Amino acid sequence: MNIVVLIKQTFDTEAKIAIKEGKIVADGVTQIINPYDEFALEEALRIKEKSGGDVLVVSAGGEKVKEALRSALAMGADRALLVETEGAAVDEGIVASALAKAISGLSYNLVLSGWKAIDDNSAQVGGRVAETLGLPQVNVVTQLTIEDGKALAVREVEGGTETVEVPLPALITAQRGLNEPRYPNMRGIMQAKKKELKVVTLSELGVSGAPQVAVKNVVLPPAKQAGKLFRDDVATSVAQLVQALRNEAKVI
Amino acid sequence: MAKVWVVVEAKEGQIKKVTYEMIGLASQLGEVEAVVVGSGVKDLAPGLGAYGVGKVYVVDQPELAEYTTARYTRVLAELIGQEQPAKVLIANTAQGRDFAPRVAQRLGLGQISDVTGYEQGQFVRPIYSGKALAQAEAVAAQAIITVRPNVFNAVSAGAGTAEVVERTVALQPNDLLEVVREVAKQVSVRPELTEANIICSGGRGLKEPANFKLIEDLADVLGAAVGASRAAVDAGWRHHSFQVGQTGKTVSPQVYFAIGISGAIQHLAGMGSSKVIVAINKDPEANIFKVADYGIVGDLFEVVPVLTEELRKALA
Amino acid sequence: MSGLAQRELFWNVPLPLKGALYLSALLAFAVFAYGIYQHYQRWQVGKPEKRPGDLGRMLQEILLHRRLLQDKLPGLMHLGLFWGFLVLFVTTVVIAIQEYLRIPVFSGGGYKFFSLIADIGGMTVIIGVVIAFTRRYLSKAPGLDNRTDDGIALLLIMLIALTGYFTEAIRIAAVGETAPAFSPIGVAMAAFFKGMSDQGLRGAHQGIWAVHMLASMAMVAYIPYSKLIHMVTGPTNQYYANPQSAQTFPLIDLEAEDAESFGVSKIDEYTEKQLLDLDACTRCGRCQEQCPAHLTGKPLSPKKMTQDLKVVFEERLKAPKPLAAGEAAVEAAAADDAAEERPLIGGVIEEEAIWACTTCRACQEACPVYVEHIPKTLELRRNLVLMDSAFPPEVQTTFRNMENNGNPWGLGWSKRADWADGLDVPLMSDVEDPENVEYLFWVSCFGSFDERAKKISRSVVSILQAAGVRFAILGTEEKCCGDDARRIGNEYLFQMMAMENIEVLNGYGVKKIVTICPHCFNSLRHDYPQLGGNYEVVHHTELIASLLKAGRIAIDEKLKKKVTYHDSCYIGRYNRIFDEPRQILQAVGAELHEMPRHGTQSFCCGAGGGRMWMEETIGDRINITRSREALALQPEAIVVNCPNCLTMLTDGVKADGKLDEVAVLDIAELVAPALKR
Repeated sequence: MNIVVLIKQTFDTEAKIAIKEGKIVADGVTQIINPYDEFALEEALRIKEKSGGDVLVVSAGGEKVKEALRSALAMGADRALLVETEGAAVDEGIVASALAKAISGLSYNLVLSGWKAIDDNSAQVGGRVAETLGLPQVNVVTQLTIEDGKALAVREVEGGTETVEVPLPALITAQRGLNEPRYPNMRGIMQAKKKELKVVTLSELGVSGAPQVAVKNVVLPPAKQAGKLFRDDVATSVAQLVQALRNEAKVI
Repeated sequence: MAKVWVVVEAKEGQIKKVTYEMIGLASQLGEVEAVVVGSGVKDLAPGLGAYGVGKVYVVDQPELAEYTTARYTRVLAELIGQEQPAKVLIANTAQGRDFAPRVAQRLGLGQISDVTGYEQGQFVRPIYSGKALAQAEAVAAQAIITVRPNVFNAVSAGAGTAEVVERTVALQPNDLLEVVREVAKQVSVRPELTEANIICSGGRGLKEPANFKLIEDLADVLGAAVGASRAAVDAGWRHHSFQVGQTGKTVSPQVYFAIGISGAIQHLAGMGSSKVIVAINKDPEANIFKVADYGIVGDLFEVVPVLTEELRKALA
Repeated sequence: MSGLAQRELFWNVPLPLKGALYLSALLAFAVFAYGIYQHYQRWQVGKPEKRPGDLGRMLQEILLHRRLLQDKLPGLMHLGLFWGFLVLFVTTVVIAIQEYLRIPVFSGGGYKFFSLIADIGGMTVIIGVVIAFTRRYLSKAPGLDNRTDDGIALLLIMLIALTGYFTEAIRIAAVGETAPAFSPIGVAMAAFFKGMSDQGLRGAHQGIWAVHMLASMAMVAYIPYSKLIHMVTGPTNQYYANPQSAQTFPLIDLEAEDAESFGVSKIDEYTEKQLLDLDACTRCGRCQEQCPAHLTGKPLSPKKMTQDLKVVFEERLKAPKPLAAGEAAVEAAAADDAAEERPLIGGVIEEEAIWACTTCRACQEACPVYVEHIPKTLELRRNLVLMDSAFPPEVQTTFRNMENNGNPWGLGWSKRADWADGLDVPLMSDVEDPENVEYLFWVSCFGSFDERAKKISRSVVSILQAAGVRFAILGTEEKCCGDDARRIGNEYLFQMMAMENIEVLNGYGVKKIVTICPHCFNSLRHDYPQLGGNYEVVHHTELIASLLKAGRIAIDEKLKKKVTYHDSCYIGRYNRIFDEPRQILQAVGAELHEMPRHGTQSFCCGAGGGRMWMEETIGDRINITRSREALALQPEAIVVNCPNCLTMLTDGVKADGKLDEVAVLDIAELVAPALKR
């Protein structure tokens, strides 16, 4: 079973967001593997440990993304491929096309990725890659069984779950709950330094084109208000709270 | 005026509220048309006219009785290809965000995901878990927009009937590869802690295990998961699998109710990234109020039952 | 025979019997020597380790029983046995000198002296045996387990002592005593034999003498094959002990290309000194009687762990490399297989035991022969973490958080200095002359992020400001010191954290550091020099005490509060800071009531060794055990010196619903509000 895992390097979840001239500043920010992609990678490693094969991790981005790929290799992936996009204007469509192109010639049975990245929150790349490669997809999967050339995946839908069966090769996107990613050991960390990490550029892949979506500006949301304390009698306090949750925070 | 499509989201013969919210947004963008896809959904179409939809495309075929990615992608891509609407609005729900990017890629379109606002020709969408807002626009005339539910105001019904255009789309063999084996509805089972949108957690302030009933009742009204602080777990009131915190589960729900929880750092480490934190504690100095968005200083044994009742009424 | 006090040596011992003695002595010493050689060979299985020795410490321990007497009754028991035997041995040597070298050391005054002390020595030995026997078999003292060799050793000793008295008594009965006042017991016992015939006395004497000699030789021969080996290994271990043991651990070269494994998973991966430890252990159980894990029902006993390792070690030795083909080789191979079947980790030592250790160092403090338990446990942890990523699952979050945000909770690193907002605390990066900053205040993760511990940081700031100490903090440039990572066994993460911190500290040319966290304190002081971080590190209790002494701060209003003080492991046992905090308490006017376990015997709060980040699901909770010990004194406050202890004991007091009555406070929080301004 050969598996391709698409990963993205993202800001750490606790990273403080600073904006300069309408763009997010990445200086000094801790970068991690997108947590959902880590679930995908862990699943790939588990499948490999069970039934053998090879795990290739693929990512797109600049030089710094190599760190994320090395981390993936340390966790146990066999090879890594970076689609170099440094300096290029890209959107989800271009990235997906490039990733698809980079893996299209390879022999694989399964493509895994996180269902979304915690940074741009687009949740598009998985579906777009599957479309380009002509693969069936199952999104937001919390349980996956691979057998007899088929993938049986439990995915989250509104108000419940669905068990979907697709023939391999297929693309599956991971949701929290699929597994608990492992912590790399020293053997992995040491081997990761020696494992293959190839770099391919957009032009080498023959992917070009202008982005279809332009981000004109990035702004900080209105500062979070100081917490509101209700200290009146129980009935009033509760009424104020319910009112706030419904109409102010709009979460209930 | 440009044609703007709204892909109707319906379930069990009912149009979902997000559809009316999308119509509201679409009306700011151009001339609103809608698409209804499914099996036995034809009857939903005419009523949309009352909400300002001029024309409704209906694809009503038995193979579309249950949702699958490939079939919906096929239908939408064909229709968009034929009619060339400028913008296609799709709900950012489990279903919508599943097929939208596939349709976009097939047609070579840009997609702006999870839109929560529209200001001066720009779509606003939260990024970095809401820590920043991106203002984006589609470069080409045609684009797909997925819209976050419960954000835009739903349009209210007026008078009028929509023109209904029925279409049939021929599905390809490749569209039939997916098989839905089982659909499990979560009716009364509480959601998983790590996946829940709302969590109600109890701590030592509950005084004894039986009082967790208060938390459970509140959770059930909200369809929320139940969590516990380390102190409550250590005291043996709740199993460790309910523990939220450093050595328990890390959660980031939309709303986190911390009830009788003082807010030790090891608890905050597990729930600090919740979108809205509600604290109920009798000690106004409790740490939890430092991170809470809303707090009630009071006796939880008095507050929680009233809150449960109020929410039951509000959500009915 | 003149009036000179003396006796005939080898009275009533015919030549054949004397010859038999020499022969048995020769045999006994040969067996002894072979046994010792075997032991020596066993230690060589381990990796070589160069260690300096300390003769003074060894002699103090041997002669004064410093550590043994920490536990009174068993200490006295051993003191009796040891000194009694030493006296008897010296007397025997003196007799030999007189007999063979013809130097009259055993006549006249010498005779009187040695006769008397030997008579007394025999008695202390017997008293020792009686105490030992009672503790072992009658009162069944906790911590002791009985094996055959314990019984044999006691019997042999008793036999030697009794037969010694009997030969003396019979001799006196037969031929009289020239200095009766100096052999009181022998003379008293001689009365029983008054009625016997001379022939009867001589026959009995010969028989008992032979038994006495045989028992003595048997004991010599038995030493290397029984617990009595501690007579050799104990002092050797005391000589080679590392007084800084567990303060830091050997640095692992993680870049080593040829390294096949890290930590210890096989017995021969320990060092020769660590294997000597196993041979020095007498199973006295003092370690486990001090062990917070053992005492609260966890599956860890330092004694059992040492003994279990010793079993593996012995199994390994029973299977030497096959020298010749045939039966021996087959047997050896079979034994090898048996050893293979029982992995050290999981097979011999339960993983839960390995994780139960709080690294409180109470075991090492208690051990009379200076066995070093913690470094051995740590090597097992290192193997689990570095080789297999095997650790309690909840720890993974902590590791990740340290990696990504430099603190165990994963709170955004950019908020690390927020606690100091509005306090006029200079950041090192804003200071124009960093070389003139006297102290770098190392705030620690707790002091930076934990609401409760931030109050300690603020208290320390107000004290430093009141004293006019020039200080600065690193702010967001400070990261977790890595202490917990290292003590959980994650050497990789520790080195990562430490090297980043050292780069920052050295970049500012930092020389002196003050910190509120004993764990940071110990790590900065003892771990960091291994990676090029050399600083003078003080704990805030030391600095406050010295500021008080120097008159740079003064107490305005005395507290008059009844308090108890909890010695944290890492400034107490690890770094011997016992007096300074007590001086501070006195200065602020606190009325100190000591807990039964304090000072070097203080009982851990349960957080050390990374236990803060692990669940405690087995047995009683260590923190509650400790907070109850404190609450029993009915203090108004429990005073601590460590944010970890603060958290654990606060939780403990809270669990008993006593937080409204009893405050848990850091010592700095007593000083800051009482300062004269």
